[in-house]
Amino acid sequence: MRFLDHPILDFNSKDKKLVSFTFEGKTFNGYEGEPIAAALHDNGIKKLRISPKLKRNRGLFCAIGKCSSCLMKVDGIPNIRTCTEPLKQGMKVEYQNIKGDLPEVMS
Amino acid sequence: MKINASCVIIGAGINGCTLAYELALNGMKDIVVVEKNFIASGATGRCGGGIRQQWSTPMNIKFAVESVHIFEKLDEMLNYKTEYFQGGYLILAYTDEEVNQFEKNVRLQKSLGLEVDIISAEQAKKIVPRLNVDGVKAATYCATDGHANPFYVTQAYAQKAKELGVKFLLDTEVHSIVTEGNNIKSVTTNKGNINTDTVINASGGYAHLIAKMLNIDIPVKPYRHEILVTEPVNRIIDPMIISFYHSIYFRQELNGGILMGQGDPNEPSSFNVEGSFPFVQEVTSKVLKLMPCLKNVAMVRQWAGLYSVTPDAQPILGPVGDFEKFIQVVGFSGHGFMLAPRVAQHLSNYIINGNTSYEMKELSIKRFENAQLNVDVNVV
Repeated sequence: MRFLDHPILDFNSKDKKLVSFTFEGKTFNGYEGEPIAAALHDNGIKKLRISPKLKRNRGLFCAIGKCSSCLMKVDGIPNIRTCTEPLKQGMKVEYQNIKGDLPEVMS
Repeated sequence: MKINASCVIIGAGINGCTLAYELALNGMKDIVVVEKNFIASGATGRCGGGIRQQWSTPMNIKFAVESVHIFEKLDEMLNYKTEYFQGGYLILAYTDEEVNQFEKNVRLQKSLGLEVDIISAEQAKKIVPRLNVDGVKAATYCATDGHANPFYVTQAYAQKAKELGVKFLLDTEVHSIVTEGNNIKSVTTNKGNINTDTVINASGGYAHLIAKMLNIDIPVKPYRHEILVTEPVNRIIDPMIISFYHSIYFRQELNGGILMGQGDPNEPSSFNVEGSFPFVQEVTSKVLKLMPCLKNVAMVRQWAGLYSVTPDAQPILGPVGDFEKFIQVVGFSGHGFMLAPRVAQHLSNYIINGNTSYEMKELSIKRFENAQLNVDVNVV
């Protein structure tokens, strides 16, 4: 779900560009530049991570890039704070493996 | 506050706490540890936590090897989980001079019973598959090296020492040491006097200031060393990796964070323990060359602590000056954490039984009277 109108806040929804991204292989839409977590919520995805120690589901918590509750793998890079990372066209969003597997990077 | 103590240990870092424990374990009563801040608040709690046996002088090797035997059973001995982990140490050589030095080191280390080998760059890559070995001419690897959590190890020793009757005076600063002739009478602190005839200087980066209270100059100088740690990631590095060529070391903590530090040859002697931005830029760019996969990993914290450095990078143990009962356990030059368990046993044997071991003779302050010092070159 998404708020399109609000009595005080102005979302300027009409000016925003709709882009597509994938989550766990499925294609979804979201507004360009909004936090990845916001786009996931709009598409009904509320489970963002599995806690490393007790393996429990984690959702949006601090929403300001501080708490590690929304860390996900984005375009192959783990530990992305999806509550603050802006959504872009074609992004590949996935659950990460525990604390995150680092991709190979050539020197 | 008025206390009578059989000995006063100044400093509740790793050396103060291991010694308090060993003394109490061997029957000494009325031991008092005086600490300006809190347990492990100085260099100990700020150190990289490495436990390495690959040194270049016999004394550093011997103390480290024998300390590892203690670390291996420490959790059981002190009933504490200290995060001790034997992931090895991998030391990289980039020049022919380094290869020659490493061959010399390994011969000496093997002669003292250490299992260590010179390995090729390809073998190093097998141990750390993500390591970029471009330019690596050879490496040395010792599988029984490792690391532990310095806070937990120090707490473990302090806790057991308390159970054995040692008194810890935290938030207490030593102001002066009162003497009469060549005898110590008492220690004056901001919270009162402690009567004692024996003072142990275990004050790390501040050791020369304590010695100065008795008008003694000891060749120990403090130098800032900086460290940073990243967010946790899944395990990619088992050993501590050192490059003397780049003057860096890094390892992965048990929780997954990558800890990295750098030795800066231009760092002036001071008490400065502030973190600096140039350090972050330098150490990350060097480590990224060796571990390109760390590219998008975020740093979460940085800090600094003091190395207390002697001219030969080996500690000063035993009495100094005219005071027979002013005993030093200082000047560990960046490797006090890993030597402390065994050093404390030698010192407690000296303090309680009057036995000066061969090792203590070798590391007496008198060695600096010789023109030829055996300097440990394996220092970052």
